[in-house]
Amino acid sequence: MFPRQSQTESARRVDWLSVSYLLGALLLCYYLLPFVSLVTSQPLGVVAQRLTSPTVLSAASTSLTSSAASTAIAAGLGLPLAYWLARTEGPKQTLATAVVVLPLVLPPIVSGMLLLTIVGPETLLGRLAAENGIALTRSTAGIVLAQTFVASPFVVITAKAAFEAVDPALESASQSLGKSRLTTVRRITLPIAWPGILAGITLAFARAIGEFGATIMLAYYPRTMPVQIWVSFTTLGLDNAFPVAVVLVGIAVVTLVVLNTLGSNPFE
Amino acid sequence: MLELTNLSKTYTAFEFGPLDLTVGDEVLSVLGPSGSGKSTLLSLIAGIVDPDGGSISLHGRRLDGRPIADRETGLVFQDGALFPHLTARENIAYAATDAARVDELAATFEIADLLDRQPSTLSGGERQRVALARTLAAEPRALLLDEPLSSLDTSIRRRLRSELHALFVDLDIPVIYVTHDQRTATALGDRLAVIRDGAVEQIDVPSRVLSRPETRFVASFTGTENVLPATVTDSVDGTTVRIGEFALRSTETVGTPTGSTVTACIHPTRVGVHAAGGVDTEATNTLTGTVDQWLNEGTEYRVLVSVAGLGKPLVATVRPAAVEGLSTEPGSTVGLTIPPEAIHLLPR
Repeated sequence: MFPRQSQTESARRVDWLSVSYLLGALLLCYYLLPFVSLVTSQPLGVVAQRLTSPTVLSAASTSLTSSAASTAIAAGLGLPLAYWLARTEGPKQTLATAVVVLPLVLPPIVSGMLLLTIVGPETLLGRLAAENGIALTRSTAGIVLAQTFVASPFVVITAKAAFEAVDPALESASQSLGKSRLTTVRRITLPIAWPGILAGITLAFARAIGEFGATIMLAYYPRTMPVQIWVSFTTLGLDNAFPVAVVLVGIAVVTLVVLNTLGSNPFE
Repeated sequence: MLELTNLSKTYTAFEFGPLDLTVGDEVLSVLGPSGSGKSTLLSLIAGIVDPDGGSISLHGRRLDGRPIADRETGLVFQDGALFPHLTARENIAYAATDAARVDELAATFEIADLLDRQPSTLSGGERQRVALARTLAAEPRALLLDEPLSSLDTSIRRRLRSELHALFVDLDIPVIYVTHDQRTATALGDRLAVIRDGAVEQIDVPSRVLSRPETRFVASFTGTENVLPATVTDSVDGTTVRIGEFALRSTETVGTPTGSTVTACIHPTRVGVHAAGGVDTEATNTLTGTVDQWLNEGTEYRVLVSVAGLGKPLVATVRPAAVEGLSTEPGSTVGLTIPPEAIHLLPR
């Protein structure tokens, strides 16, 4: 009697877990459908033709190299900052974290405007660099500066969380075994935090390769893929922009797959 | 020899020290409640925390101011702190100078068959064995253990405690073993320091700390549950004190005048429990009371006995073998005997 009653009750009960999965699946579809729609709507021949176009190839090359450079800079400078933030407490840490988050909450075009006040052609830094043969705007360097500004917080914030998850006792244990702080970070902290750090690097690269607002303020030329898509759209219309967008989506997907295969620990 | 001189550290809500402590090639158990400063003591010695004042030296070499890696103090954490991305072998090899040493330590700690396993697949006891092997692989000149047995099951704790005892006998280096477990502290320590609010309350051989606590805190923390206010009535050949309506003899001399107030400390293990008619009620330090509670604690019984006119119930422990012939029903009458040498008197 009792089990039958129980089964009936459970059958009547709403399975909230399944409902929540359904809601999640809905969001997943919302992400996926535009991609499928874009890719299937574009004739393969047109996409292939765009792929061999010197303008698109140049934009793709600029995007890839600048994104790789800005991600490398974000990792190189962001990881030490993330580690310091993770292992420090107090008002300094809170303030520094707020500063790191600032580029994330600014509209990218405003970020570009802010950067122009520092590295623009009429600024002290801009003039000094130009005198030494380095253009900080309308150059690959300008693109990298813009991408680093908007993308590096992803490395810092994600790596900070990853470092915080590493028990400080492990670092103390390592050091008490005679290992230096540097060796401890290299052999203990980084390998344990690596999945989180890789997630941050992936996010930063994805943000960099898709960067448009700050880039267009600092470096309209050389064109990155997003700028090229915008130019195609404004000069030749949406139909001309779509195939270039497919190329960018392809590059982004391949890049994410490559970064994910790096998920195995390079420090071991 | 490990020497701490005037060592101090101030936190917002806690002050440690100033502390003077010398540990030779021996095991010093440090016993104290949570928040008493036990872990701070180890952190200061190991270099995890910098002191505000004082000095630390190991075999004549100043440690304070040196980085953790340059202190040669092996640290064993409560949960082992094994590196989760390395196997047990890699954990030990991380500290060892050669592979042969790893196998040698694995044999010592009986973990040879666990060496290729990840820490997450090891039991609590196995993890601590690996952690100990790893710490000793670095050949430390002092060993600091922060409650390494506290999270283990009773049976595993007993076994590992026994193994640690054997290990410590062979180690000719200063060992500080921090714990809040009195049994572990007394079992492993050549000396026992009871710590409270960042200061050492008493330091001595364990048997003396247990039988002759110098403060009420040490008495209660080391298991002397019977702490009673008493008045000195006679100081010839020991001391006679009045506790409630009873005059009890102690072999101790407190040096305070007749009429002064003292605290009588009686460890539960020293209170004899007998059948009602089994004691001479006229004999010295003999009382009669009624049982309030019998609690079976496995290895012994804990008995709470109310004695009319004493002021508060007495706690006694009885070995299972000694329970036969005693009525364990609450309300039943029992006789109690307290040897004069078991009554420890503290000035109030």
